Amino acid sequence: MATERYSFSLTTFSPSGKLVQIEYALAAVAAGAPSVGLKAVNGVVIATENKQKTILYEEHMIHKIEPITEHIGMVYSGMGPDYRLLVKRARKMAQQYYLVYQQEIPTAQLVQKVAMLMQEYTQSGGVRPFGVSLLICGWDKGKPYLFQCDPSGAYFAWKATAMGKNHINGKTFLEKRYSNDLELDDAVHTAILTLKEGFEGQMTEDTIEVGICDASGFRRLDPATVKDHLANIP
Amino acid sequence: MALADVCKIGPNFQFRPFKNETVEDVCEQTANFTNGFQLALPPFADPARNLARFNKDESGKPIQFKFDHGTTTLAFRYQGGVLLAVDSRATGGSFIGSQNMKKIIEINDFLLGTLAGGAADCVYWDRVLTKQCRMYELRNRERISVAAASKLLANMFYNYKGMGLSMGMMLAGWDKRGPGLYYISDDGTRTPGKVFSVGSGSVYAFGVLDSGYRWDLTDEEAYQLGRRAIYHATHRDAASGGIIRVYQITKEGWTHIADEDCNDVHYKLEEAKAASTSS
Amino acid sequence: MSILSYNGGAVVAMKGKNCVAIASDKKFGIQLQLISKEFPKIFEMGPHLYVGLPGLATDTQTVHARLKFRQNLFELKEGTRMSPKVFSSMVSNMLYEKRFGPYFVEPIVVGLEPDTYEPFICNMDLIGNVCFPEDFVVGGTCEDQLFGTCETMWEPDLSPDDLFETISQALMSAFNRDAGSGWGAVVYIIEKDKVTTRHLKTRMD
Repeated sequence: MATERYSFSLTTFSPSGKLVQIEYALAAVAAGAPSVGLKAVNGVVIATENKQKTILYEEHMIHKIEPITEHIGMVYSGMGPDYRLLVKRARKMAQQYYLVYQQEIPTAQLVQKVAMLMQEYTQSGGVRPFGVSLLICGWDKGKPYLFQCDPSGAYFAWKATAMGKNHINGKTFLEKRYSNDLELDDAVHTAILTLKEGFEGQMTEDTIEVGICDASGFRRLDPATVKDHLANIP
Repeated sequence: MALADVCKIGPNFQFRPFKNETVEDVCEQTANFTNGFQLALPPFADPARNLARFNKDESGKPIQFKFDHGTTTLAFRYQGGVLLAVDSRATGGSFIGSQNMKKIIEINDFLLGTLAGGAADCVYWDRVLTKQCRMYELRNRERISVAAASKLLANMFYNYKGMGLSMGMMLAGWDKRGPGLYYISDDGTRTPGKVFSVGSGSVYAFGVLDSGYRWDLTDEEAYQLGRRAIYHATHRDAASGGIIRVYQITKEGWTHIADEDCNDVHYKLEEAKAASTSS
Repeated sequence: MSILSYNGGAVVAMKGKNCVAIASDKKFGIQLQLISKEFPKIFEMGPHLYVGLPGLATDTQTVHARLKFRQNLFELKEGTRMSPKVFSSMVSNMLYEKRFGPYFVEPIVVGLEPDTYEPFICNMDLIGNVCFPEDFVVGGTCEDQLFGTCETMWEPDLSPDDLFETISQALMSAFNRDAGSGWGAVVYIIEKDKVTTRHLKTRMD
């Protein structure tokens, strides 16, 4: 084809006005491992399924939940390699902000920058959109924040949400269980219960990951702590 | 050998021959005691030419001597005699060393000198001139003329021409020929004239002087003109300021008319301006 | 002659009790020649934020314009006011961008931190090295003189009125020994709920 000589955008409008490439990307997300996030009064929690395909995999070496700064963390549903690039870029943008202003980047600012990057990949030549949706949680100036970033570059602020496989059920579950005066421990509990909806096989500390963010910053819970939480679940 | 290279001393370079005789040596080192015209010269031949080679640093940049500079002085002849007005600021670089320097030197009752340029140079050579003028008076039983005094000064400057003296002086007085006014500068120039202004603020002073000067100014008008010229110069020129000193010379000799802080002059003028615009 | 003293001018800032002051002369000159007596060197960048930019006049204006440009972008994007600390970091960063062809200004940032109203002062050199002293900062052609006057006149916990008196005396005494600055002065006293601007009657030579 003659057009191969030019790096035209892969993301082109269909006659009906849709960008099918982005819809495919969203389909990749919807097929990916589920992840959930919800805000509590004193923090935010994000959690995801991290199932190993065989028992030969080493657990707790490669993580799906990643810290971006001291007070911001991120998880995804969709394609792992795309996610790692976004993590790298998000960290770099956060550090660039810190370099200029000597102040941690506000979560909303980071989300905006990441979303901007994802949007660029829908309009540039020679690239494809990211095959991931992100959940970004943070804590600034005494308040919790939870955002979702989609491959199109759209972003949303949530009280609680679910993405990936089974996200419809997850959201319905959260709508029933969520309340505005949740404590962080309860929120972790709810997050795990949401993941458990439609979870295939045994849920253990080796098959899920949980990250929390509060006044002391963002951290991934270690397997022992996750195990304690799981023990509280009937 | 290396040191000689650094100093650029070639085979043709002459040191003054070293003399062993103690008395002669002492006389040489203290020549200035007995003869004010004589300054110690650098110990090499043809200082006027060779001094320049030592006034550069290792990278060839001229070494800056930061002595007091920047001034406004003026003097003019008119029907009532000679009027002199000066500021009183002494600056070294942008540092203000003094706000109350005396830039008019009273040589004798009928002769005044103004100083601009290197303060030390001006003061020293004015002192030598004072002595010479007094000597002249004692020898000849009459006062020296302004023309003669200025010629003495110009000759002294000429002797050290090219060696870095920095002066722009005016000599004013009253003698047999009436009021006299000369400008003498470090290059040996000597010119008689009616209106002079010297120093970094002279451009501003000239602006005022040229627009207001007439031969038949009254004494009061002359005083106001001189004062105003210096005031405007102190306002526009950062290196001029302090006190405005005004002197007048008549056939009775010089009189000191006034010392006025130019800040007071400024705010008085502002008030007057405000009053005239509001009325 | 240094390019930093080509146009002349000086800025000083001091901390007081629950207040800060910043003052400057109003001169714009070219070497020894006075051109204007109405040249601002202190700029309001927010309700409790001021920046003084002594140095080369053209850079005073350029740096002010560029800082305002960046600050406006920041404030629009983030929807919050810039705090003095963040503002000074931005200034420093902007100056270092031009490490090998700097703007010839030595900025002084003063203000009250949002929420706490903690007094804030800082100054930096022309390539953005920041200092956060506890007492006062000085800059401009009579920097040396200002250090002397501030060192003797400043004391901790001055009230707004005393701070005004101190900063004015310190500045005017410094002018008296510097040919490069003076010709009028302006003082800003910044308090929690008001900013007082006063113009000083100075020597005009």
